[in-house]
Amino acid sequence: MEPREERASGFRKETVNKILHLHFRDDKTKISSDALLLMAEMLKVFVREAAARGARQAQAEDLDRVDIEHVEKVLPQLLLDF
Amino acid sequence: MEPEGEPERERLLHTQRLKAAVHYTVGCLSQEVAEDKEIQFSKQSIAAISEITFRQCENFAKDLEMFARHGKRTIINTEDVKLLARRSNSLLRYITQKSEELALNNLEQKERKKKKSSAAKGRTTSDEQMEAGIAESEDSNMA
Repeated sequence: MEPREERASGFRKETVNKILHLHFRDDKTKISSDALLLMAEMLKVFVREAAARGARQAQAEDLDRVDIEHVEKVLPQLLLDF
Repeated sequence: MEPEGEPERERLLHTQRLKAAVHYTVGCLSQEVAEDKEIQFSKQSIAAISEITFRQCENFAKDLEMFARHGKRTIINTEDVKLLARRSNSLLRYITQKSEELALNNLEQKERKKKKSSAAKGRTTSDEQMEAGIAESEDSNMA
């Protein structure tokens, strides 16, 4: 998994915070600022992996468009790797 | 419509808004991958990745909460996030590296703040101030 720093796209800290809080069981659970930044990175990697693997699958089938079935094919291994 | 439906609808709206935010970022990131690989993504494939990412957050959140609780804490920290990344070596390396960059950044910021405040007070910086900065590594909490 290669990281690239040139682009600005990524998850906003506040968004990540709100999403994680949706699923906390305890009201008292909080997340540190640094941990939030790391989680934003983690999610970025997750999305890029999903997209890249989907693309590789489509290319392996000699297609120039990634469709939902390509994403479905790479999903099991993706989830295992995360 | 009964008034009891209100909080339910609020929660649904809140979730929809978050899903939309995720979808937007997934779109941006997929566009970058598309350019890299010279390929196109169908709308449905992006929607699928977006949905999967949102669902995966539930697993992440629950795991993180459990890790913190296991460490007898209520505040999730970077060590918990690193534990989350344990399944893939390259992922773990990447996250660990990011974590070290963050820690370095924090140190530098504290250095700059201390230099500013001591310059304002007319004193010169000393090594003792640097040690004080290292003692507190985790910063503010997010509720």
